[in-house]
Amino acid sequence: MGKKLILHDLPAKDAEKLFSANGGEYTIFSARPPVQTCVGCLHCWFKTPGKCAIDDRGKEFSPLIHVHEELIVISRLVFGGLSPDAKAVLERSIGHISPFFRVVEGEMHHRKRYKNAFRLRYIFYGPDMTESGKENARALTRANALNLGAQGYVCDFYSSLDAVEAAL
Amino acid sequence: MKIGVVNGSPRKRGSASENIIGALRERLGKAPEYALCSAMSQSGREIVSALLGCDALIFVFPLYVDGVPSHLLRFLEESQGQISGAVPAAVVYAVVNNGFYEPAQNILAVNTLKSFCVKSGLKWGQGVCAGGGGMIGARRIGRSPLKNLGMALDALAENVLQLKTAEDRLVKPDISRFFYLCAASVSMMFHMVKNRL
Repeated sequence: MGKKLILHDLPAKDAEKLFSANGGEYTIFSARPPVQTCVGCLHCWFKTPGKCAIDDRGKEFSPLIHVHEELIVISRLVFGGLSPDAKAVLERSIGHISPFFRVVEGEMHHRKRYKNAFRLRYIFYGPDMTESGKENARALTRANALNLGAQGYVCDFYSSLDAVEAAL
Repeated sequence: MKIGVVNGSPRKRGSASENIIGALRERLGKAPEYALCSAMSQSGREIVSALLGCDALIFVFPLYVDGVPSHLLRFLEESQGQISGAVPAAVVYAVVNNGFYEPAQNILAVNTLKSFCVKSGLKWGQGVCAGGGGMIGARRIGRSPLKNLGMALDALAENVLQLKTAEDRLVKPDISRFFYLCAASVSMMFHMVKNRL
């Protein structure tokens, strides 16, 4: 099992700088160029369980989640949430969870497909982040952790990539 | 009056969003002029051009991974600089449905639309958050178990026609969570058996 899986939406140049400095101890998946959008076919639940049926590199992300101990998502903060590029990858990964339901903290959520429990860490970056945007992003991290079956979650905000690098 | 409706479902046919849009149009009547758009099959430029001069914009979409579907989110981000030029006085409304029971799980997506309004200089009108999305695509809105949704859309249509701002509404299906969970589980099981899983 790998330790950390990183999904990021950074431009190639910034990604190279950020991850070369961190010694290659991560599995890295870039959300750029954007993967195709989820079309809601639900084949990942009912035809090819656990695997997305759209044939592009976006289908490669979901099988990585349950073989890592931590999923780190590095994303621009857009309208108080993930960027379209990062979100498109996560939408293509719902095969990671089961179509069946459970009730957690008084809310209906999907059951886990896999036994292993990973930690979820969201790192939002960008200038001019508002308090309401940050508040929404924290609530989103909690909701995604519940629905993806993570065992714990953290949400951090950084105004520059240098600060992200120091935090990794 | 011109009303722009943006369907944010990625599905071509039979989606809950499509059914909601149909029910909403029945309630809004024939008088307004409509611009019906799809965030999935049209480019951002095509959508902005179709929405030109609208008095109200209604975004109707499913909850995807606790938020706005990525293709609609991309449209919102890319159009935030131009949309106020195309629809300077438009009031924005949203109807979000999710496959769970609790409508409150849609609030984060409604907040995304509110943030879009702040950044693009548009006026926020109202959000309607509907749970029980698994039942919405195939049933008549306004009849049980979608009576509550029908009433919420009645009120939303009135607000849209008067360009009024109102409190966001949380709409549960009019059956208990226990029955919804049972029905959803049976439906999932049916799909599993059908696909020999």
